[in-house]
Amino acid sequence: MLLEAHKVSKAFGSFFAVREADLSVDEGEIVGLIGPNGAGKSTFFNCLAGDTVPTEGKIVFAGHDMTDASPEAHARAGIGRTFQVPATFEDMTVLENVMVGAYLRHPHHNDARDLARQTIELTGLRTQTDLPARSLGTPGRKRLEIARVLATAPRLMLLDESLAGLTPTELKEAIGLVRKIHEKGVTIVIVEHVMEVIMTLARRVLAFNQGHVIASGKPEEVVRDEAVIDAYLGRGRHTHRRRST
Amino acid sequence: MKIPAVTPTTLLAAGLLIYPLIFSGPFYLDIGVTFLLAAISASAWNIVGGYAGQVSVGHAMFFGLGAYAPLLCYTLFQWAPIAGIPFGIVFSIALAVLIGIPTFRLTGHYFSMATIAVAELIRIYFGTWDLVGAAIGLQGPATARGWWDLTFRSELPYYYIFLAVLAVLLHLTFLIEHRRFGYYLRAIKAGERAARSLGVPVQQIKIKALILSAVFTSLAGSLYSVKTGFIDPESGFGILVSVQMVIIAALGGAGKLYGPFVGALILIPLQTATNTWFGGGGTGLTFILYGGIIVLIARYEPGGLFELWERIAPRGWRRKNAS
Amino acid sequence: MLLLQVIVGGLLLGAIYALFSSGLTLIWGMMNFINFAHGEFVMLGMYVSLLVVMWLGGGPAAFGFAAAFSLFVLGVFVYLSLIRYVLRGPMLSQILSTFGLALLLRYTAFWIFSANFVSLPQTSLSGTLNVGGVLMPVPQLVAGVIAILLTIGLHLMLTRTKVGSQLLAVSEDRGAAMLMGIRPDRMQALAWGLSAGAAGIAGALMAIAYPWSPSVGETFGLTAFVVVALGGFGSVPGALLAGLIIGLIQALSAFWFGPIYKDIIVYALFVALLWLRPQGLMGKA
Repeated sequence: MLLEAHKVSKAFGSFFAVREADLSVDEGEIVGLIGPNGAGKSTFFNCLAGDTVPTEGKIVFAGHDMTDASPEAHARAGIGRTFQVPATFEDMTVLENVMVGAYLRHPHHNDARDLARQTIELTGLRTQTDLPARSLGTPGRKRLEIARVLATAPRLMLLDESLAGLTPTELKEAIGLVRKIHEKGVTIVIVEHVMEVIMTLARRVLAFNQGHVIASGKPEEVVRDEAVIDAYLGRGRHTHRRRST
Repeated sequence: MKIPAVTPTTLLAAGLLIYPLIFSGPFYLDIGVTFLLAAISASAWNIVGGYAGQVSVGHAMFFGLGAYAPLLCYTLFQWAPIAGIPFGIVFSIALAVLIGIPTFRLTGHYFSMATIAVAELIRIYFGTWDLVGAAIGLQGPATARGWWDLTFRSELPYYYIFLAVLAVLLHLTFLIEHRRFGYYLRAIKAGERAARSLGVPVQQIKIKALILSAVFTSLAGSLYSVKTGFIDPESGFGILVSVQMVIIAALGGAGKLYGPFVGALILIPLQTATNTWFGGGGTGLTFILYGGIIVLIARYEPGGLFELWERIAPRGWRRKNAS
Repeated sequence: MLLLQVIVGGLLLGAIYALFSSGLTLIWGMMNFINFAHGEFVMLGMYVSLLVVMWLGGGPAAFGFAAAFSLFVLGVFVYLSLIRYVLRGPMLSQILSTFGLALLLRYTAFWIFSANFVSLPQTSLSGTLNVGGVLMPVPQLVAGVIAILLTIGLHLMLTRTKVGSQLLAVSEDRGAAMLMGIRPDRMQALAWGLSAGAAGIAGALMAIAYPWSPSVGETFGLTAFVVVALGGFGSVPGALLAGLIIGLIQALSAFWFGPIYKDIIVYALFVALLWLRPQGLMGKA
């Protein structure tokens, strides 16, 4: 077991964004988290990444208790994450962005630069190497985020809607990239709003609604689950425009 | 790794080396010395305020501690003033840690507020503290007892001492820029949350940056008081001291190696000119001018003149000077 | 008896601190933004009062209104011409914008009014009241009581009125507020107007009772930081309580250790607060 979340809850005041969510991920898996916006999947995700400390519950990664650990400790332990709204370092070039990630395991400048260049090559950003991140479009910045995380040599990668808002061609490329990373032995947990992405990538899916895990299992089973359909089509509709937190 | 543009740097160094030989009059020499000191302090501020984006508006606290230490050592023990420099540095480091640890956990505004409050606190306190001469301040040796007193009749020796310190500081900043520490500083400025997610120990890096910045600001203060042989609360801890560092760095380009240098190159002659034109009443107008410049930078050109140049300079020029 | 008088004096001054600090905390709570020129707004309020008295011969009601109104307009203007643009810019711009504004206002005031201390000519509010042996100057008493009432009024406006709830909605969630048909930009401009207006009227009240010079702005600005840090960022009731506490601490430290120490102790308290309780007395942990 690489990652295990046990009865994780997160409350903001009296409001429970996540309530007693369980998740266990084996080395080499791709697991999807789905649910309508505001369902709690992003909050749960932030708990896994160390950005939010759960109110209750326990998170264990590779045998270490990470429940209260800082985001930087998560990175050191081998958990990398992307952001829903890309948080690239806008004034730094693509190479410099990726180097910040590469420095985690390679303190020396030349080593970090070499690794960053390889990672940029792998993620298909080579032609933009020396451009500032702000000149990239959203798809490019999402790709850059993945490259940056990849340079930290994670064992587990948490992707937060990294494939949302892409055109069909871009989506195909992005799925290819995620597969490539997966083949290199990186375990992946992916939050996604778009069902098709989850269906093609994930072997196992957890569906969230109103802070609860309402279904889990194979993607084709989960999408047929009544509670999931209800969450997406029924109650999902009026919360559709709200930003998930 | 980008190779520094060798020619402009060497030209610059050569120009600074021969400046006193060409403009040897005391008036121009004084401008040169003032310029170098301003460039040193602003470059020191730049490490934490520019690169790491943690905007201190009370850096006078480090400058003042550095300035008082040599003259206090002279007054109390009749030591050579320079013997006091390490004490100024030690106290500045302690103060940096005292302020950095609690405020760096919070958003950037807390740090700014804390710096200005602490600088004011020390200024007022020194004005009442008899050991440091209260409101009157301290004086250095009137005549040199030996070379070690660094009391010269001409400003020329100071010019070259200051130039050497500036060269060391800029070289150090250049090295930082091209190492992990520098990358981490810029990452923190660009987005703390993202930086942490990539394993950057944000708190630790910020404190290191503040300490480094405080050390050089303190040194700048020491150089100032050793040269002038006089310090009082206003010239050590006054708000003008902090403002000058911020405005010079921001005008040239905060977070750019030569930003503070360029800022000082523009501001110091400007300041000398306003002071000369308006006589003794010029300080008030200087402040109004400073305030206006700061507001304009914030509103229109937060990247300073360097970024403005990058945007408007013709392409060929830009490529040649991309360093 | 003397001690009691010192305490009352401190609380009355603290009430004015509370009023202008609530303006600072309003802006912080709404847009996570610290106005370094807030003390200068108070200072301007004082000079507006002086000008109204000198040129127009207006009484306290007239100059109080004039100070509030002119500073309201200035606040809105500063937001629309400056703050709006730096709000989403880098931290450097955010801090430099109002910091530069503070210098600009402070030294323009020096230039126009000189560094000398001035005070309002005797107004209809004068004399002292003897309450059971405690001597209370009428101007201080009136200014302090009005300041408390206005601070409470501001709090009620923010919590009980439609405009208040719209302001609050913007501070909670810009996007959601926009969906509700609220225009955040307008609300933030209004907040700046209210904030500066509170500072302006606090200045007028201060001018009734105390002499001043252009440099008071810096002291008031820093005092407001301490009040807001103590009361909790974004909390008007917190600012009220903290303002009274700071006024009291200042009065007592001036009484016991000498006037020069009143600011030292307050700033030291600020540093201690950052270490011990950065969220303030009433802020959330």
